[in-house]
Order: sequence, then C-alpha cells, then structure tokens
Amino acid sequence: MEKNRHVIKRGMVRLLGNPRYQAVTIPLFAIILSLLAGAVVILFQGKNPLIAYQNLLQGSGLLPKASYAGYKSILTDFTSFLNAWTPMLFASLSVAVALRAGLFNIGVSGQMLTAGFITTLTIGYSSLSAPLAKPLVLVMGILVGALVGGLIGWLKYQFNINEVVSSIMINYIAQYVISFFINTYYVNPVSRQSNAVSKAARLSLMDTPVGNLKMDIPLCVLLAVITAFIVKFLLDRTTFGYELKCVGTSRNAARYAGIHVGKNIVMAMFFSGALAGLAGVTYYLGYFGSIQPKVLPSTGFDAIAVSLLANSNPVGIIFSSFLITVLSKGSTYMNSASGLESEIASVITGVILLFAACGAYIQYKVKTFQDELREEERKAAAEPSTKEGGNG
Amino acid sequence: MERIIIDGLSFSLPLFIMAIGGIYSEKSGITNLALEGLQGVGAFTGALAAVLAASALSGSSQVPYYAAMVFAVLGGMIYSLLHALLCIRFKANQTISGVVINILAMALTAFLTKFINRSVFGAASDKFVLGVSAKLTIPVLSQIPVLGAAFKDIYPFELIIIAAAVLAWYVMYKTRYGMNLRACGDNPHAVDAAGVDVARVRLVAVMVSGGLSGLAGISFAYSISANFSSSIYVGYGYLAIAALIFGNWTILPTLGSCLLFGFARSGGYYLVQKLQMPSSYSDLVMILPYVVTLLLLIFFSKYNRAPRALGEIYDKGKR
Repeated sequence: MEKNRHVIKRGMVRLLGNPRYQAVTIPLFAIILSLLAGAVVILFQGKNPLIAYQNLLQGSGLLPKASYAGYKSILTDFTSFLNAWTPMLFASLSVAVALRAGLFNIGVSGQMLTAGFITTLTIGYSSLSAPLAKPLVLVMGILVGALVGGLIGWLKYQFNINEVVSSIMINYIAQYVISFFINTYYVNPVSRQSNAVSKAARLSLMDTPVGNLKMDIPLCVLLAVITAFIVKFLLDRTTFGYELKCVGTSRNAARYAGIHVGKNIVMAMFFSGALAGLAGVTYYLGYFGSIQPKVLPSTGFDAIAVSLLANSNPVGIIFSSFLITVLSKGSTYMNSASGLESEIASVITGVILLFAACGAYIQYKVKTFQDELREEERKAAAEPSTKEGGNG
Repeated sequence: MERIIIDGLSFSLPLFIMAIGGIYSEKSGITNLALEGLQGVGAFTGALAAVLAASALSGSSQVPYYAAMVFAVLGGMIYSLLHALLCIRFKANQTISGVVINILAMALTAFLTKFINRSVFGAASDKFVLGVSAKLTIPVLSQIPVLGAAFKDIYPFELIIIAAAVLAWYVMYKTRYGMNLRACGDNPHAVDAAGVDVARVRLVAVMVSGGLSGLAGISFAYSISANFSSSIYVGYGYLAIAALIFGNWTILPTLGSCLLFGFARSGGYYLVQKLQMPSSYSDLVMILPYVVTLLLLIFFSKYNRAPRALGEIYDKGKR
C-alpha cells in the first residue's frame, strides 16, 4: 500500500513535475483522464471505445471514413470541420480576454446571437455586392458584440452588478426577443428558421465545386487564427494587456498602482464582446445561413471549457478549441456509425472541464509530492543503513 | 385575477425554495452558481424515480409523486457534493466550479435520459413524461374574495415547499448551526477559533442547497413542463440567484422578490391571453422576469451587503 503510494507519487512528479511544461502537461492530463472516463462509459454500454473515438476523428475529417457519398471526401469533411471550428475559436478568445480581467463572460452565447441577428437584418438581407457585404458583416458583428459586452461591463462598473447574473439575464432577454422578431417577421415557413441570408453576405462559400468535390470553404478561418496571435500580443506585450492582468489578479493592488479599475472592466468586456460578435457572424452568417429561434448557440458555453482548458492562453486556445470541436462535430457521425448517443461527447467535454477546474489543485498536489519525495531522499541519504523507500 | 395569483404562486414558490438553498450556501461563504444544474439533476432523479415507480405500480397511485420529491432532494444533495468537493477540498475557483457543474449537469442528464429510455424502457425518447400533478383546494379559506385564490388549485408540492421554507428559516436564524453558518460567511477565522469545523459547516450548507434545489427542480417539472427534458434548463437557477441578491441574502425579503418574479410572469401571460395577441407574443412576456431582475439589480445593488467572505477559499494560515 505504502509502496503503491510512493510509485504513484513518483509517477505524478515525473509526468507533471516540471513547472516549465505544466501549462501543457496538466491540461493533457485532464484530457486523458476524461477520455478514459468516457471510454469506461462506452465500454459499459458494450461498445468499443477505440472505434467510438476513431469515429469522432472520422466525422471531423481527420481520418478517412469507410465510404463517402457523391462529391464528398475526407477533404470536404475537414473543411466543414474548419467551418465549425472558426466561431468556436473566436468565442473562446472572447472568454479568455474577459477571464484575464477576472471577469466571467458567460454571456458569449447571447452576444453571438445578438450580433448574428442584427447583422443578418442590416446586411444579410440587403442587396449589397459581395466585396462590400462581407467586410461590412465583420464590422457590424464586432460593433454589436462589443456594445452588448460593454453594456455588461458598464453595469458591473456603474451598479456593481455581478457580470454572471447580468449576462445570463441578457442571454435570455436576447433569446426571447429575437425569437419573437424572427417568428413574427422573418420566419421561413418551411424550415421554421429565419430566412436565409444573401449569398453575398455569407462568410462561408457553401457547396462550392472544387475539382470533383463540393466543399464548404470557411473564409474567416485564417482570420481567426491570426486573431488568436493578435490577442496574445495585446494581452502579453501591451500596457492595455498588463492593466487587464493587474485588475484580474488583484483589484485593490491595481487601484493602489493607479490603474483605473472601472475603465478596464468596461474595456475588457467591450473587447470580449467584440470577439463574441465575430463568433456570432461566423456562426450565423458563415457556418449556418439562418437563425433558429429560441435556441442559444452551445458554442458560447463550450467556449468556457476551451478557455479554461488552455488556461486562457490564446495560443493554447487554438489547440483546445480544435479538440473540443472534434468532440462536438464528430459526435453526429459517431452516433450514426456506432449507435452511441451523441450526448456522450458533451459529457466528455463536461468531465474535461471538471478536471480543468481542478488544475490549480493538481499543480499544488504535485508540488507537495515533490517536496515529500525530496524530504524522503534527504532522510535516506542521512541514514544510509535504513532501507531505501520504493523502487519507482 | 385569480389565475394570476394561482399561476404566480406555483412559479414563485419553487423559485423561493431554491433561493433559500442559495442563501444557505452563500451565507456560509460558498458562491453557488450551480443552482441551475442542481435543480436539473434533482428533477432528473425525481422524474426517473417517478417513472420507475409508476411502471411498477399501476393505477392512480400517489406513490410516484412523493417518491419523486424524495429522490429529487436526494439527487440534488448527492450532485451538490461535487460542488462541495471542488470548492472546499480542491480549492477551485467557486464561480468556475459552479458554471462547470451546470454544463456537466446538462450534458449528463440529457445523455442519461436518452440512455435509460433506450435501455430500460426500450423507447427512443429524450424525456420522462410525468403529467401535471393533481391540485387541491382548501375548503373555507378559498372562499375569501381575491386573496382566497392563494388557497385554490394549489399543487401539493407548494405545501411541502412552505413547510421546508419555515424549517429552513428556523434553522438559519434560531439554532446554533445557523449562527455558525452565518458566521462562516463573514468571518470563518473566528468560527475556526471558536472550535467549529468551517469545512463541515460549509459542506452541510452546500448539501442543503442541493437538496432544496432538487425539490424546486421536480416542482418545475411537475407544473410547468409536465415532463423531464433538457427544457428544464431555462435559467430558473440564475433567476433564484438574482432573487436572493435582491433579497439581500435574507430569507423573508427574498420571498418578496420571488413573488414579484412569479406575478410578473403570470400577469404577462394573462395579458397576452386577455388581449388575444398571437402566441408568438408570449415570447415577449417570457422576458418579463429577466427584465425585472435587471432593473431591480440596477436600482438596489448599491444597498446590498454580500457576506464578507463570500467566494473566498478558506485558508487556515491566512489572517
């Protein structure tokens, strides 16, 4: 028993002990634990977890499927995966920026929906030509998202309203009001969704023939990746980013240092909202071409998982958002191929989140293990006649 | 008028009992955004118990109904242990833990509902059908003009909730445990110095919030939706949090804010029906409780005094 504990301690320290790599190793540890937990659930249902996970990758266009329909191949699956990945990346960056200032933007979904809806009305339904419409869609998305985000920040600054509560209230208000307008004025009687936006305003080229394939080409995927690096630069290398970090770490210390806390809270939410707005337009005018009434995009909530997993590091988010999108995008194919409930993917996401939330504790525990091992070694060295503990 | 009171009460009371749960947790110093998830899991376990009991017993037995209540409380309590584990033992950020627990609750109950429906009942369905519970009318009191409506067509769960609320009020303000609990939220070091285990007080407080939220969840499932499905997650938990913030973390004023939400909602529905507006206008009415919450928070947040140690991880060595 004692020996087992020692081996576990050794192993944990060896795997996770190096503080230089902990930013990567601890999230990986969380992911692997969650995938194992998911595998147990899948096994319990009498299915092979390896095949299920393989299906996830196949559904995302990362592994070839057994057979394809006409005009489809692994490449079309992959571009369609990128199409879903783009809004997720923007949304996660939005969460990360707010987290840096110690704010929890759970309203990303509402900001996405509002930005998507207003952009659809103003530009999606207009007859502008493509070179004019597409940039305008982006600008409009940024603007609307930033205003909604900024409002939440302002409520916090001016009236001391907890941002979690106010953004959730705004989520529901946006959801119902927009659903009312869609159902009353813009509903498509066949699809029960809002009327489709014009092709010129669409941020993804759908069903475009390339060679003998028909693929969906997301135009903003590069922009999203570049944005991640811009956010990284802003947060780590500018005064603005430094002030945000100060406010997020300790509000009082920031105030003593002469940083205007209120202004930074509003700015952080403004910026976070702008990114959520980009997520909204790439979701509603890119990935989809219409808005389903009464539904908040789950992307906004998954984005919290992505951001936590990457410890709100913008470059890390590129990888973690990739992973979470594989889980959500691939789950449909997993459902049809192996008959598992597609919800299992969101359960795995939830468990990843759970372990990610314990990241600080894992770090602390590894540190104490390290200290204990060092202590044991010191003792062993001081008394060479006693037995050495464990053979690790 | 009668309908506004009857419907308003059946919405406010579950909200109220959930808010009391929130007060317990927050007064002990643990931020509890997990109420939403706790009520969902409570509704899930309760509904599962009801469906299983109904398939075992036949006819119009009342057993499934009360079994649902008991198992909802148990389910909420057990699931809340996860929040307690993360916040107390693992010292995770309490806001993050609450949100994570909500996300996991949604995923888990949606998955399990489908899975159990398929494997146990052999039906591809994502809900447990419960039906609306029977109602009862108190004979004499319901004859009082206007106010008598409060005693008419009440769901049995409303009586359970009132009993639980009175008990919760008594424990919170009249017992030694309640005093320790309130002290834990303001000055945990003093509580520790007095020889009381802060972690245990907080653990019990979080479990109480889980149990009460579970009761609220199954009540919503039996009244509003008449089934359990993911439609249970429409933000009632967050509404309860807004109610308790507006009620300044005390039980009686919180009852006032819950009643306000309930009547705003039922009044709005009544208006839509009365003016014979198309059904899509009910979407606009749905926003009333949320708008009222936001406005009230704008006006009253300044006067609020949250428990001083709320959201802080208790660290013995810190002063």
